[in-house]
Amino acid sequence: MKMTYKVALACTTALIGSSAYAGGHGTFTIGITQNNVGVDSYQTTYEQAFIAAAEANDSVEVVVLDAGGDVARQIAQMEDLIQQEVDAIIVWPTNGEAVIPAVRKAHQADIPVIVTNSNIAEQGFEFVSSFSGPDNVTQGSRSAEIMCDRFKALGIENEAKVVHITGQPGYTTAIERAQGFNDRLPEVCPNVEQIDQQPGDWNREKSQQVMEAFLVKYDDIDGVYSGDDNMGVGALNAALAANRAEGITFVGATNFAVGYEAMADGTYWGSIYQSPVDDAEAALKTALDVLKGEEVPFLNYFDTPKITQENMDEFTKPVF
Amino acid sequence: MAELTKKSIGGFLAKQGILVAFLVFMVVFAIANPRFIDIDNISGVIRSSAILGVMALGVTFVVIGGNLDLSVGSMMSFSTIVVLDLHDKIGPALAIPGMFAMTLCLGAFIGFLVGYLKLNSLIVTLGMLSAIHGLTLTYSGGQNMDIADKQNTWFDFFGQGSMLGIPVPILIFALLAAGLSLVLSKTPFGRKVYAVGGNGTAATFSGIPRARVVFMTYILSSFCVATAGLIQASRSLGSQNTVGQGLELEVLAAVILGGASLLGGSGTVFKTVIGVLILGFIQNGLLLMGLAFYAQYVVTWVIIILAVWLDIAAKRGRLWSPIA
Repeated sequence: MKMTYKVALACTTALIGSSAYAGGHGTFTIGITQNNVGVDSYQTTYEQAFIAAAEANDSVEVVVLDAGGDVARQIAQMEDLIQQEVDAIIVWPTNGEAVIPAVRKAHQADIPVIVTNSNIAEQGFEFVSSFSGPDNVTQGSRSAEIMCDRFKALGIENEAKVVHITGQPGYTTAIERAQGFNDRLPEVCPNVEQIDQQPGDWNREKSQQVMEAFLVKYDDIDGVYSGDDNMGVGALNAALAANRAEGITFVGATNFAVGYEAMADGTYWGSIYQSPVDDAEAALKTALDVLKGEEVPFLNYFDTPKITQENMDEFTKPVF
Repeated sequence: MAELTKKSIGGFLAKQGILVAFLVFMVVFAIANPRFIDIDNISGVIRSSAILGVMALGVTFVVIGGNLDLSVGSMMSFSTIVVLDLHDKIGPALAIPGMFAMTLCLGAFIGFLVGYLKLNSLIVTLGMLSAIHGLTLTYSGGQNMDIADKQNTWFDFFGQGSMLGIPVPILIFALLAAGLSLVLSKTPFGRKVYAVGGNGTAATFSGIPRARVVFMTYILSSFCVATAGLIQASRSLGSQNTVGQGLELEVLAAVILGGASLLGGSGTVFKTVIGVLILGFIQNGLLLMGLAFYAQYVVTWVIIILAVWLDIAAKRGRLWSPIA
């Protein structure tokens, strides 16, 4: 039964690009349109956690949609949700700019909009009740701190050289993490030099190729910062294949299961622990708080702590 | 005498224009950064290109046969995810043939639609691009697929191993290229592929079973895709669902860059290999030059168009088209 549901969900998600689900018997109806469920484990786990959280709460009924990464479809879904007169809309923007007109339309129809995971562009802020998600700039600066602390422990904080592999160019999360890292690193470790920065497009294989080129180009690399662990593990694989992983500090963000395992192996140093379950639950809670008329900060961040080889026992292995 | 030399040089250029373009780029990159021709770098680039290359070999047959295959990218994701999943469930020795069988079924299905039902290959494979992506997501439930025990498996041989000092992906690519080159140029089947792509009607009247030939090119293409998926899975022992996304266009670019005609009937395996290497070395060369990534996107395509132009110019013996 569960399997059938899962398969059916994946089918609709992938082929038609939208899945609809309604559950619970509540006083509030909340619609959510997600970015691209199924494209990676984070988004898949997010959706499952969101549905589970909604089912556990009797006062809410949810309409779960997925835009399949297509901004036009997301705008159409927003309009559908407005037509259905839901009480609130949660949107995981496929594109921070293009979704703004649809958000404004919901705002004009007096439906509060909560943005989840990745924020929309600033000119749309006035139409949004609250943003619920990780603080990517802080994540970037925390990664810089992890890197710097490690260099200090190794006694190389005055000569270390770092390369930086970013996420998809143009993607808000990628830009903000890179900005947080690039701003913070010179503050905590002024003598560490960042010698190169290239995009790995959130893709492990691409990131492996970028790292292979870095290894050829530079004889001396002490640290690698990647915009997420998926790319970080790609870079790690490249260094392992070239027998140069030892002596390189690998730091990522969004701790994936592969990153967690590599930390347990002692080859990968640290990351930022970001749970899709926390992300989904925070989004639902923010929406409910807004509907109940409670005071909600505009930027409602959930905490994403540092995780390194030293404190990883305190965290369970990510499921994605 | 001088004339003869000039003629023979001209003849060589006309036949191997793309090879000359390739060598020119190599020299320019090597001057810009001597590390470019470091043996480790060269072997690294060929190793990374092997995945794209193996896929391009199969697509070469499809394109020469007068059709397109846009489904190879998502089919490669499928193979990669399936073999990784089966690895932990039934062991690598059974997972590999199992994955090949499943991928060949997809190839046979496309071959049936395009060959026997004579449907337009662009529409069929474009549709299959999405359908197979959906199939992959359904299969994996959207989760990343990773081999649980990465230390104790011989499965990493195909992507990370080496024999006689040569990385295995390069060996697979080279052997497959050599084998398929023979098939295309020396066997009756190879000639039938050219005939069907060159003039399908004439081929039919000559008694060539057109549907079967087209069917076989798709089987061959899916076999190559399965091999590429095997290398990919073995290289990282884990994968995202979208690992092959967008590769279909790179593969097609490499095949066309190599000089195969989109209309069918011309192209060789050797030239496709050169096309693949040009793409791989351009990307690596630009990275080593330290160009900002947005400049890389532009420069890559400028170079590709330049290469195609050089190739065509060499063939017609002048830079501009004689027809206004």
